[in-house]
Amino acid sequence: MKPRVALYLCSCGENVSERISFADLADRLASLEEVASLRIHSLLCSEEGRAFLSRDLERDKPDRVVIAACTPREHEKTFRNVLEKSGLNPYLFQMVNLREQVAWVIEDKDDALALAERYIRAAVKRVALHDALERQEISCNTNVVVIGAGVAGMAAALVLARAGREVTLVEQNPFIGGKVVLYDKVFPTMECSSCMLEPMMDEILHHGHIEVVTCGRIREVAGFIGNFTVRIETDARFVDREKCVGCGECIGKCPVTTKNAFDCHLSDRKAIDFPFQGALPNMPFIDREQCLRFRGRDCTICRDACRFDAIDYSASDAVLERNAGGVVVATGFEVWDPSPLAEFGYGRVPDVYTSLEFERILSPNGPSGGKLVTNKGDEPKSLAIVHCVGSRSPMLHNYCSGVCCRYAGKFARLVRERLPDANVYDICADWCVPGKENHSFPDSARASRKFSVVRTTLPMDVKITRVKKGIRLSCKEVSGARRVVVVDMVVLCPAMIPSKTSGKLAEILLIPCNPSGFFAEGHAIVDSVSSPREGIFLAGCASGPKDIRSSIEQGAAAAAKLLSILQPGKRLELNAMTALVDPALCSGCRVCVGLCPYGAIIFEGSRGRALANAALCEGCGTCAAGCPSGAIAQKHFTSDQIAAEIEEVLR
Amino acid sequence: MARLKAAFCWCASCGGCEEAVIDLGEDLFSIAETLDVVFWPLAMDFKLRDVERLGDGEIAVSLINGGIRTSEHEHVARLLRKKSRYVVAFGTCAHIGGVPGLANFLLRDEIFEQIYQRSPSVPKKDRNEPSALTRVAQGTLSLPEFSPSLRTLGQVIPVDFSIPGCAPPPELVLEGIERILSAQPPERGAVLAPDTALCNSCARNATRPVGATIRDIKRVHEVLFDPERCFLDQGIICLGPATRDGCGQRCINANMPCRGCFGPPGREVDQGARFLSGLASIIDAGEDDMVGLIDAIVDPAGMFYYYSLPSSLLRGKRRARGSTHRR
Repeated sequence: MKPRVALYLCSCGENVSERISFADLADRLASLEEVASLRIHSLLCSEEGRAFLSRDLERDKPDRVVIAACTPREHEKTFRNVLEKSGLNPYLFQMVNLREQVAWVIEDKDDALALAERYIRAAVKRVALHDALERQEISCNTNVVVIGAGVAGMAAALVLARAGREVTLVEQNPFIGGKVVLYDKVFPTMECSSCMLEPMMDEILHHGHIEVVTCGRIREVAGFIGNFTVRIETDARFVDREKCVGCGECIGKCPVTTKNAFDCHLSDRKAIDFPFQGALPNMPFIDREQCLRFRGRDCTICRDACRFDAIDYSASDAVLERNAGGVVVATGFEVWDPSPLAEFGYGRVPDVYTSLEFERILSPNGPSGGKLVTNKGDEPKSLAIVHCVGSRSPMLHNYCSGVCCRYAGKFARLVRERLPDANVYDICADWCVPGKENHSFPDSARASRKFSVVRTTLPMDVKITRVKKGIRLSCKEVSGARRVVVVDMVVLCPAMIPSKTSGKLAEILLIPCNPSGFFAEGHAIVDSVSSPREGIFLAGCASGPKDIRSSIEQGAAAAAKLLSILQPGKRLELNAMTALVDPALCSGCRVCVGLCPYGAIIFEGSRGRALANAALCEGCGTCAAGCPSGAIAQKHFTSDQIAAEIEEVLR
Repeated sequence: MARLKAAFCWCASCGGCEEAVIDLGEDLFSIAETLDVVFWPLAMDFKLRDVERLGDGEIAVSLINGGIRTSEHEHVARLLRKKSRYVVAFGTCAHIGGVPGLANFLLRDEIFEQIYQRSPSVPKKDRNEPSALTRVAQGTLSLPEFSPSLRTLGQVIPVDFSIPGCAPPPELVLEGIERILSAQPPERGAVLAPDTALCNSCARNATRPVGATIRDIKRVHEVLFDPERCFLDQGIICLGPATRDGCGQRCINANMPCRGCFGPPGREVDQGARFLSGLASIIDAGEDDMVGLIDAIVDPAGMFYYYSLPSSLLRGKRRARGSTHRR
């Protein structure tokens, strides 16, 4: 039996009606046998139009509805809602795009009319094959796992915890605070970075709703939005958090001294030590690579020194399992290591530092106790800051990190404050200092006689070598001439790159990375804290270079998004347009397995059949398109429906 | 008891399907016990007028092989449809177009031009094209009209069942005829072969690793292939995943990849597009390498639509809208 289709033509504004004659269109379509009623309305999306549509549908009770109007992007949802309220299944409906696909792109009125007719005929054929899809609902867990306890992760955890959500904050390092806690001062306010973070970190560590897991790694994130199971591996610190008071008695007696990786290898540490002075949580940890006990010797010096019985050599690594409704990925960034390129002199010429190392040198809890000195302990008389190291270069990192010019300005100011007589050379192609507070950096720097800017070409063409008098830096100026300066210290501002673990984490999380290696956002502009996988959100530098403020904002934004989804007692509505594997058609060829970006396709070895998990499926259609046997139906986009549409358009 | 009447007929086909009937061997005798053959141009001397004399629906089952390419094919098909209770599209060509359907990559005019004008074996003086009516001194000669394209049987008349295969394997034919004539015949429109793809019964299926593994594509004469391993994993185009099962793995067992003669599985329409989409999903190449890799496939359209062009969404080449006839 032919379905009774109610067809509505919405003439919209002049941008559509001037191109398409709706009276002629109605004439041409009146004879379609499936069409039981045909009505023209001037603005179906208006309140009056929706009421008209609703009255009509309730009275006529058609089987299917086709609306030819502006564009589904704008009003498909609007009309689906009207259908649902009028007692019709919202999926027994097809919308024809008369605006972008006809009126806006076809000059000739006759052509526009003919094309509109074709599209509407195709929609009528297609809608006849639509199924009445049902939306399923599932319960959701309101807990959240936050990966990374830098500023973005901490901001997310605090917003969530303050709203009563249970948060597990997983940090791979033995301390929280990320990179920012390693800095001396922050731009633009020039305030002390650890003082700025202190209240935040204190709240994190003492909040009843936040569980902090240090030395942790994410091993598995199974499940789907509202129902994730996260497995976390943790390395033992061998120091009991409950007993340790952070007195440090154990440290002084430890016989092993090694370079401290958390201080960029610029200072020494003991096998049992704090990551750096002031690190939180305030407790040391044992580096089992260095500790004599873990290298087969029977040393118990630190345990003997501890008056609180906090040291436990038998502590073991653990795997924690947490159920959560959502995940925030805030894994931050690394500073690119310039040592592979000899011309930067890094790792070859003494006193050539990366910006992160320079932050440590400036920091009061850093290797030199905050004294700005060379590795020989002398105050540098001159210093060069090199921008864009490895950035904005097609061969290395073809983007601007967006923060270096501002921290370079900060560095220049800090150098001027501490060593007013030192000459500072700023080697840059240009200055990128957006934001209402930041122009004071270049302005005040330029006002100083000791500050000179050397403008170079891009990508940065510098050569840094060791000479008798210090460090020779030669670069190509914009004029084409080569400029040489000899200084005592060089600070490189390397590109910000994704954190080392992000590639592996992307595989675990089943979320894609963009070509630069940062996690890809759901939408780069309008949905920048979402990942393509539902329930997994991104914050801070995990999705690309950002400054501290933006990272914190993103952490809070990701938390807010999760709060709006994960509400106690609320059930989550699943997408109805999912993929469905027909076991009677599946031949078990496994082409689809591995295609699904959301991990929704499972291969059941025992039955030799693939299976699509509706709760995980986002309805992207990749598996349905890839199935060579046509055994996967993408609901609402089945082969029959698409073929019927194409056939009619091409008729 | 009067025996049921049956008819066999061929249209645009190679004759292999007729051979498939003969291949039934001794089983033909058991069929002959239930069926009375009233029309079989290949083997028996009945004329069309004999069929015309039968009542509507009097033939229990007509098995028609070959695609529909001429007015004569169409005429016979319509006549048999009228006189038969069941019509079976017998073999690949009737079912989905088959090899003669590859001609749909050319327009009728282009085919005639190639065959009757440009072919080096045709002397200049003989360069005539066939036409439906030709006047000669003795009167008017007639030939069936050559249709603009090859159509499947189902595109010309309603078909009750299809038995796929180039040619259909004897077991499938026998089982199909038995099912059709049983008390509970299959649902109308059914393809009398499994709905799953060939991989379902292929012993090599388990050897293909999951994921994108194809790094280069080879032609069958370029490699010695492993007789146990999945052809696709060896870079050989095998249409198995996009082809209906039921052939008994004749090619695979002979260590040759599937070319797709059983047509698409299940309710699928476009075998070529389906396969291409699946193949693209398991190719391990970036965008740049992809081009070179695809170039390694000689005649991709002919390869992916080897048997199924007329029944696919493409159907074949069409004259551009508004263009005029050649010359």
